[in-house]
Amino acid sequence: MVKYRKRLLAATAAIAMAASLAACGGGSDGENPASGSSNEPGAEGTAGGTLYYYIYAPYEHVDPQRTYVGVELTNFRRTIYRSLVAFPISTDAETANTPVPDLATDTGTDADGGKTWSYTIKDGVKWEDGQPITCEDFKYGASRVFATDVITGGPNYLLSYLDVPTDKSTGLPIYTGPYNSTPEGQAAFDKAITCDGNTITYHFNKPWPDFPLAVAGLSMMDPYRQDKDQGAKSNYQMFSNGPYRIEGSTWNKNKGATFVRNENYDASTDSTDIRMALPDQIEFNVGQTTETIYDQLIQDSGDAQYAVTSQRVPPAYYSQIVGDVESRSVLVASPYVDYLVPNFRVLDNPAVREALKVSTNTTAWINAGGGEKAYAPAESIVNPAVVGYQDNPAFSGPQEGDPAAAKQILEDAGVQMPYPLKFTYPSSETADKQAAALKETWDKAGFDVTLDGLGDTYYDVVQQPDKDSSVMWAGWGSDWPSAITVTPPLFDSRPNLTANSDGQDYGAYKSDKFNALVDQAANAATLDEQTAALQEADKVLGEDVAYIPLEIAQFFFLHGSKVTGYTNTPASSMYPDLGPIGVEQ
Amino acid sequence: MFAYIVRRLFIGVILLIVMSLVTFILFFASPVDPARFACGKNCSLAQIEQTRKALGYDDGPLTQWTNFLEGVVVGRDYPDDPELRKNAPELIADCAAPCLGYSRVNQVTVASEIKEAFPVSLSLAILAFIMWIAGGILFGVIAAVTKGTVIDRGIVAFSLVFYAFPTFFIGLFLLKFIAIKWGLVDVPSYVSIGEGGVGTWLSNLFLPALTLALFFMAGYVRMTRAFVLESMSEDYIRTARAKGLKRGRVLYKHTMRAALTPLVTMAGLDFAGLMGGAIITESVFNFNGLGKLVVDANNTYDLPTLIGLVLLLGAFVIIANIIVDVLYAVIDPRVRVG
Repeated sequence: MVKYRKRLLAATAAIAMAASLAACGGGSDGENPASGSSNEPGAEGTAGGTLYYYIYAPYEHVDPQRTYVGVELTNFRRTIYRSLVAFPISTDAETANTPVPDLATDTGTDADGGKTWSYTIKDGVKWEDGQPITCEDFKYGASRVFATDVITGGPNYLLSYLDVPTDKSTGLPIYTGPYNSTPEGQAAFDKAITCDGNTITYHFNKPWPDFPLAVAGLSMMDPYRQDKDQGAKSNYQMFSNGPYRIEGSTWNKNKGATFVRNENYDASTDSTDIRMALPDQIEFNVGQTTETIYDQLIQDSGDAQYAVTSQRVPPAYYSQIVGDVESRSVLVASPYVDYLVPNFRVLDNPAVREALKVSTNTTAWINAGGGEKAYAPAESIVNPAVVGYQDNPAFSGPQEGDPAAAKQILEDAGVQMPYPLKFTYPSSETADKQAAALKETWDKAGFDVTLDGLGDTYYDVVQQPDKDSSVMWAGWGSDWPSAITVTPPLFDSRPNLTANSDGQDYGAYKSDKFNALVDQAANAATLDEQTAALQEADKVLGEDVAYIPLEIAQFFFLHGSKVTGYTNTPASSMYPDLGPIGVEQ
Repeated sequence: MFAYIVRRLFIGVILLIVMSLVTFILFFASPVDPARFACGKNCSLAQIEQTRKALGYDDGPLTQWTNFLEGVVVGRDYPDDPELRKNAPELIADCAAPCLGYSRVNQVTVASEIKEAFPVSLSLAILAFIMWIAGGILFGVIAAVTKGTVIDRGIVAFSLVFYAFPTFFIGLFLLKFIAIKWGLVDVPSYVSIGEGGVGTWLSNLFLPALTLALFFMAGYVRMTRAFVLESMSEDYIRTARAKGLKRGRVLYKHTMRAALTPLVTMAGLDFAGLMGGAIITESVFNFNGLGKLVVDANNTYDLPTLIGLVLLLGAFVIIANIIVDVLYAVIDPRVRVG
């Protein structure tokens, strides 16, 4: 997932930026994505005590329909916001990628080839004020997604899936949300989502076989109480239906919040597979620098003994993570992949793109970026934690690159050498070193490389159709563990390429063959059919060198010594999973 | 004097208006599209345009600027949408005059943001100011009167060291060792007097204020020393001594008075600047003052907050300048304003 926020922080770690946004993961092969210190949950704790959660960057939204950052989604899913289904606590990828019932009685019933999904809401589930959670609350929550002039920044998949006609003059659905819609728009929405007692039915305009994954991974379908809605003013208000409620009802953007027990939560309606809710209190502490957080965690005194963090260990602190401290650390693969995007308007010769791929030295890139504690090699743009992951055979060559072979390809192609190559990337001290490392091998292969490190303007520049970059850096993670949220949004030229913007398809890649496979995946009635089509689509991208995978960012975390049940799971986007975590008394 | 102050205030208001216009122009001259930033990922062009309208960025910069000025005078509604006010009044935010704008990022008026952050910066500035003025003048005078001795050289050397270290280094050093490693004080977090009493307020402010004070103090030691030495070489000081006045009286009554005049100018401006937020110190210690607000607003392309803060900072400096000019006349009878 492309990072839009906090671009100034890119000054410290541009490449690591992608690692702060959303999604879930888990490998279809059942492998544990943990690759460093043990990621298995420690001894299960007992209920009670206070857990501290250290966060550096302020959360931009806590409204469920606006939250779109993986760590935020998972933190709230385990504590405040329940939904129809949820991903269970598990380090086993296959288990972790299989939603289980949460507020619904089961994982949903599909009909009409995946175009209709129905869920029945459990009896006895309540909001924090004791009122029952109703079908209408779910419907109202979904309606807010359509108010794109008020509820901004959140995932908008529902706009293209839900069976609501499009207004041709605006290109947006005729339903514009609960605040100012026309009667026609409201009627269309009422037809698309229907309530029958406690059963809610969603009608889509195309199959959505992985809908349960989307519901579990994002909070856009979460229930929302109409009488609590103040539109944009609700951005930092939280109204709970989970085991905790926020003290004071409002999340303080710059300070965080304290979660306390929700007296109206009934554990018998929930499952310990999703959340154990062990601490009596969770204090989210926002704003301390990463260095201050790690000074405290390494020192392991005071509140820090009971603390976890979503900040990664800074490279300068690696040498301090030894001995007893190391036993409190964990190194796991993130759900994000960084990659290179050749610009098809500039590198229009397939042989040049092939030479670029062959000469790309990902080992040098990784080493310049901090080594194995920062990155692991990637062999596809799809993260191994996504359902149906396969290595892309196009990228099975040596990670160090083969400049001699690349040079031969360029010479055989008869292109002018040295071949000019402009590499555009978000500049930072680390990224500049990494870019220089790539340049060295590219230059040896016969390219004449110009490094084009950009600041805040990076995403604006790479989306311009008239950019002169030859190759660009990018990063992405799935919104839910399906490749349908990876390759189609990045390479389907139809929604991306317009006269004014290349959208997410920075390289202006256009392929009828790829688009046909995307259509096949989008119209698949089952997850297996969808996965097969997407695997084929990824192979096409590899053959065309539409991207060159660089690495998978690694998450290196430390936690306090009195934290129990610590684990990082695909359900928590490999951040600390608050589901099983507790503290010693 | 009164006419002088009124004239200076009038010029100050003109300056603030110009500053607001320049900030608008600079913001919209940036190649970054704030609407695309706010819309999030996977937004179609239609959604981005809708977001632009929702944020109020669809009008030209000049129109937005005049709307802003109008809001300062008569107040504004956010969003200014009569249809929405009719259908869903609870979504409308009222911003009473003088309305400095409404932050769509934080969903509060800019005035509320400033109201929340200002006490933090003010507390920090006051305590740091007291520390650095007291320490700076004291050690500066000691260095001057002991010129050439080990004491003088030691003070000058220490002040050079602290002046050379960046604020973030001093801050992180104090935080890491004094608070975290040695546990001599708790890790500071701002607690207002109302919440925790004067003792808690002071103890939490101590390290961040010391961080700022050490940096400023170093400069003030050097300057005080230089100004005092310069004054001490004046003829009237020699005359005072020749008349048989005691050394302490000469120093306090005659030397200090002349030496303090330029220090007052600098102290006033430095204090005004600090009231506008000590960006690095507030960030290191996680104090949510005006400096941190500036950083956050910049990171999130929050134009209304940036405009409000620019005007506030400008107002601080302008007012501080006027106060300094007036103080000049009080401290040094040779100076007359007008």
